[in-house]
Parts: sequence; structure tokens; C-alpha cells
Amino acid sequence: MKLNYLFPSKYKKIGWIIFYPTLIFGLITVIFDIEPEFLDVNVFGVFIDEIIGEKKLIGIINNNILNEILGLLMIIGSILVAFSKEVDEDEFISKIRLESLVWATYMNFGILFLAFIFVYDLSFLWVMIFNMFTILIFFIIRFNWQIRKFRKIEEI
Amino acid sequence: MKNTIKVERAKNNITQAKLAELANVTRQTINAMELGKYAPSTILSLKLASIFKVDISEIFTLEESDWD
Repeated sequence: MKLNYLFPSKYKKIGWIIFYPTLIFGLITVIFDIEPEFLDVNVFGVFIDEIIGEKKLIGIINNNILNEILGLLMIIGSILVAFSKEVDEDEFISKIRLESLVWATYMNFGILFLAFIFVYDLSFLWVMIFNMFTILIFFIIRFNWQIRKFRKIEEI
Repeated sequence: MKNTIKVERAKNNITQAKLAELANVTRQTINAMELGKYAPSTILSLKLASIFKVDISEIFTLEESDWD
């Protein structure tokens, strides 16, 4: 009965510390197309299909790893924020958690649904990039907003 | 589902906060149950019955709409 796949509550703070700087820095690098040269390295890859180059199942390719680093940090940060227990997690909070997750999933795929209809080519690639992270971001916003409302309930 | 948590609380003269502490849930959860906005799990229901030292059916009763 105690199984709930959540992290201990102390990880939420660590999550926020990773989440905010990564989100801000990530948006900056995307908007200004930043790729510092010292992060151009040879990396091991699978299913390689370079735009100008060969196709290989596995091999070594040269890649700027800034987006990989930020992507991984974004996943770690948002997972920790989203799925660390509240200090006083109980069954009603779990209900709010579940409802927020359902809401976030609808939002995320609702936007993707519209993007399939209205957005094309390279712009659609941008939608896909953002859509990778928005499901958790929508969840984080919804859940924390609902929890804030929940905590404001006065004693009667 | 209707419940008499508020009545039982008054009989036992304990606050929402105290009951929350005894049942190991948040005060807001007690509040939501009293207002009929939240139907507790079986475990929490049994805990409340145990705290108030009454039978579980004395606290919780089904309503017609629960059968829909």
C-alpha cells in the first residue's frame, strides 16, 4: 500500500535548484543558438544518420553536447520537482497529484494535436522540442497551484 | 457518501488539526472530508473509526447517488 513511485520530499528542493537555471539557460541557448566550441566533442552514438554524411548503426560522431547536457538536466530537474513527495503527502494530495497529471497530459497532447494541424516543417520541429518537456512543466505548474490553493483552506 | 466526522469530532472535542495529526493526514484532508468533497480510502476510514472508537458504518453512510 505504501508503494507510490515518488522521491523523498527533500529532493524537491534539489529539483528546483536544477530546474530553474536549466530552464532559463536552456531558453537562452535555444533563442540565441549558442554552441560554444569547447563543447564540440566526439561522442558515441547509435542509429547515426547525419545530414551530410553516412548512415551507421553505431559509431563515433562529432557533436556539440550543450543541448544534451541541458536536456538531461531538464529531465532530472523536472522529474525531481514533479515527483518528490510533499512534506505532508497524504491520500488527498495524491489525488491532486493524479488529477494534475491527467490535466497536464490533456494540455500537452491538446497542444500537439493543434500543432499537427497548423504547424509545418521546421516550426513543427520546434514544437516537438518543446513538447518533450512541457508535459512535466504543465504538471508542475498545475500541481503546485492546486497545492497552494489546498493549503489556504481555513479551519472551520 | 455522507459522513459524521464533524459530529464525532465535536463529541470527542478535538480540532481538525488534532484529528489530522492522529490519522496522519493533512488538516485540509479532514476539512475536505467533512465538506463531502473527498471520499477517504478504506484505510483512512478505518483509522477514523478506530480513533473515534465507533463502528465504521456509524461514521460513513452511502447515499443514493453513490449507486449511479
